Amino acid sequence: MARFSFKSIVFLLGLFGAAHTLRAQQDTSHYQLQGVEIFGQPAEIYAAGSRVSSIDSSFLSTYNSTSLAAALQARTPLYIKSYGVSGISSVSFRGTMASHTAVLWNGLNISSPSLGQTDLAALPLGGVGTIAIQHGGTGAMYGSGAIGGAILLTSPDYTSQGFSGELQQEAGSFGRYYSKATFNYGNDKFSVSAGGYRLQAENDFRYTDYASFGAPERKQEHAAILQYGFTQDLAWNLSTNSKLALHSWYTFADREPQASLGAAHNNSRQIDKNLRLLAEYTLGTNWGETSIKAGYFNDLLKYTATSINSIADIATYQLQAEQTYTYGRTWRLRGGINLQHFAANVDGYSQPEKENRASAFVLLRYDPIEALALSLNLRQAFAEGYNPNPTPTLGANYRFYSNNNHLFYLKGNVAGSYRVPTLNDRFWQPGGNPDLKSEQGWNYETGLQHEYTSGTLHLESEATVYYMLVDNWVQWVPTEQGFYTPKNLQKVRSQGIEISSSATKQLGKVSITAATGYTYTLSEQVKSYEGPEELHKQLAYVPLHKATGALSAAWQNWSLTGNVSYNGLRYTTSDNTTNLAAFTLLDLAASRKFILGSNTLQASVQANNLLNTEYQTMENMPMPGRNYAINFRFIIP
Amino acid sequence: MKKYNPVRSFMWVAALAALTISGCNTNSDDAPTGEYAQDAVLISNEGAFNKSNASVSYYNRSTGQVQNEIYSAANPSQVLGDVLQSINLHNDKAYLVMNNSKKITVVNASTFKAEGEINGLDAPRYFAALNNEKGYVTEWLAYDPNTYQYGKGRVSVIDLKTYTVLKTIEVGVQPEQLVITGGKVYVANVGENAVTVINTITDAVEKNIIVTQSPNSLALDQNSNLWVISTGQKDWQLDPSNYTPGALTKINTGSNTVEATLPFSSKTAFASKLATNGAKNKLYFEYDNKVYQQDINATTLSTTPVINRSFSSLGIDPVNNYIYAGVAPGYTSNGWVVRFNPTGAALDSFRVGIAPNGFIFR
Repeated sequence: MARFSFKSIVFLLGLFGAAHTLRAQQDTSHYQLQGVEIFGQPAEIYAAGSRVSSIDSSFLSTYNSTSLAAALQARTPLYIKSYGVSGISSVSFRGTMASHTAVLWNGLNISSPSLGQTDLAALPLGGVGTIAIQHGGTGAMYGSGAIGGAILLTSPDYTSQGFSGELQQEAGSFGRYYSKATFNYGNDKFSVSAGGYRLQAENDFRYTDYASFGAPERKQEHAAILQYGFTQDLAWNLSTNSKLALHSWYTFADREPQASLGAAHNNSRQIDKNLRLLAEYTLGTNWGETSIKAGYFNDLLKYTATSINSIADIATYQLQAEQTYTYGRTWRLRGGINLQHFAANVDGYSQPEKENRASAFVLLRYDPIEALALSLNLRQAFAEGYNPNPTPTLGANYRFYSNNNHLFYLKGNVAGSYRVPTLNDRFWQPGGNPDLKSEQGWNYETGLQHEYTSGTLHLESEATVYYMLVDNWVQWVPTEQGFYTPKNLQKVRSQGIEISSSATKQLGKVSITAATGYTYTLSEQVKSYEGPEELHKQLAYVPLHKATGALSAAWQNWSLTGNVSYNGLRYTTSDNTTNLAAFTLLDLAASRKFILGSNTLQASVQANNLLNTEYQTMENMPMPGRNYAINFRFIIP
Repeated sequence: MKKYNPVRSFMWVAALAALTISGCNTNSDDAPTGEYAQDAVLISNEGAFNKSNASVSYYNRSTGQVQNEIYSAANPSQVLGDVLQSINLHNDKAYLVMNNSKKITVVNASTFKAEGEINGLDAPRYFAALNNEKGYVTEWLAYDPNTYQYGKGRVSVIDLKTYTVLKTIEVGVQPEQLVITGGKVYVANVGENAVTVINTITDAVEKNIIVTQSPNSLALDQNSNLWVISTGQKDWQLDPSNYTPGALTKINTGSNTVEATLPFSSKTAFASKLATNGAKNKLYFEYDNKVYQQDINATTLSTTPVINRSFSSLGIDPVNNYIYAGVAPGYTSNGWVVRFNPTGAALDSFRVGIAPNGFIFR
């Protein structure tokens, strides 16, 4: 499904209805080494044997007023834990915790250095160009935190010549309004683009208050949000073989975090300001491609309530330098270093804290024959006081059968991963524990991939089985004195199956795309170093089953899209005595395009949670029922 | 013009059936016994803050049977609320103090069916009833998130017929446990060094009895003396070298004066969870992460622990003096109750809800 495996989907650019196709392909088996130098080839080329997928551009375009959390929930096997409609959202990937998924933007990790995780609800789809998801441990490629997997975001890529732009306005249920404008200009030497958005939502949906005597119906009164932000991307082709690009992404969010049923909201309020600046220089010479990225991120989180006044202000400086050498079509070698400096002003720490981290990596892709791709990667991280083990990856893709219609691939890899404790883990007062060890993971997987093409039908399927061990897993546990402290508490084993299939077909004038996916995740504690031995119980908030499905049809100026997702039962306690029921969500969207001279007006209607499912992704956090949105978009090509 | 409508007829039948069924239920409710009336040990499970996963467990002392989540069982699809700080029983009613739901949920103590709720509270901690008409609840107030300090708290006087707040009485900083005896309410102010005495006729503060810093729990003995355990100054913002030792204090409730103070030796060790046996002639408490027991007439503190570990809660079965101890492995895992015989030998254990913080024996 839509697990991300829209890979290979030949999408009619959905709502744009344009007949030209875009292969939302991220699978490594398709990254054939080229003799010609191509700038900015993605790191996935070194991920032979692992599962990589993407969210198709049609979905991103239709739902660009929502967040990364909504996209992953609808279209991938990742389980999203949303603290109500307005609170933070975190992810569980292959049965791991939120801090075990690395989130990278244009190749640099953007997870919060204090929390070690990313609030997916605060990342708007409107500021993102592509989303790729790499499953399993990928420590050698992406560094700390890439244990369950990695989410790879890029800035929008504008390649059009001359001036173009887009204006968008959306209105929806529960007092929701979204506006967005983007403009860009490009020529052979230079391109510039700027965009801004604003989202406001009251979120005053109705719910049953099961925590009050008599279970009255109530309106949600403390879940309003205001978000705005901008993106700016500039690129200069300095010469035929060198390029400079500047990306900036600012997001602001002011939210009333929803309280759980029966809990007082205590006037809680969360303000996030995230500024991300990145400069990238690439140079192609006889010695290969040189890439230098310098990033400055500033993450401010202010949380206030009747009895809380907390502020965390963290500056991150990152430098990543890479040199890639290509030898014909046979092999490609990339070596690089990554340097990080954190300067944290967090009022939970006894003083401002600074930390430096570094890592060096070597990535090798070797194709001894055209049908076989091998990769061998290695990273060594250096963090003050922490010595993560070297993390290698060995993977292979082998096309073992092909004829006119069929392609069959066998894939497999073994990958190490690690996570350095967060700044909070170390410096929080009281509780911070300077004696923590890094978490260490091992991921083993194998898979089968099949592609079938006949006439206008293209079908692609993939099945993966994985086995993963994560040791020295950190958890915060209460102490005698009444505060919490992090400890290397346990060893966790996660194993599962991931199946996905997608198809495209032209039926007369109608283009059909369909995708389905299913994930089985068994994640449990296998060793406990301290605390309760709850061995061989499914970890809390990891569904055993998740399935997704998507179907879309485009005809002339019309298009229709449906997304369905099923999330199986999730336990809410580690001894599996309490749980949240399984739920199914269905969303539909229809759009029509109007040609106005050389411009286009596109109108669309969305119906979300059409089944009016009463569901919770976090215990006692009710989510909205059926809701609607109407959207107009004016496109100047 | 009214035609026969099969749907309407069905609704009538259904409505009649519902009436009949609810009538039956009412009859059984009126019976003097309920599912949780006999040989009951009720365990309050605090739950995690802002998760609304507090619960109550029931343990049957004769059969050893355990039932968790009895509030949800008796009130299907209902959620108890956020942070169950304590339970107090008075006659046939149980008062469940829901700290971050800012209310007290009142249930029938035998069936656990909800009967109503007391709203208008801010941060309720502990409840005690004077009689069927009037009750008192302590509340922490005026927390300053910048200094991490509380201001003066209050005791709210509750009309138990209408479930409304009659009056609020300002007391000391962080009023915690309370005991009613001899027409007086005794309130331990854990954020300072005083026990406040409230007259139940005037509902006004009568006296502040100075004790050792941070009195956190109270117990009455067989001679109507009030015992207070204080943990000493243990503010986490202070360096441990500036901590002060706690003490066990005996208050004469006739004269409302301190009769004896038994100071602990360690500056850094915590002291808490004071309880008595059924005869009310022995005191149990936790000190320095161990459980101690001593006679009410002892003039020095016991130096030999009964149990060499610490717990999230402590309760003494008034019938056989067995020690019930809660174990809370965190706020994402369910807890345990371990039972010990009176000499401190572990008997058995059973699983309860998240963070067991108190016991009621019935």
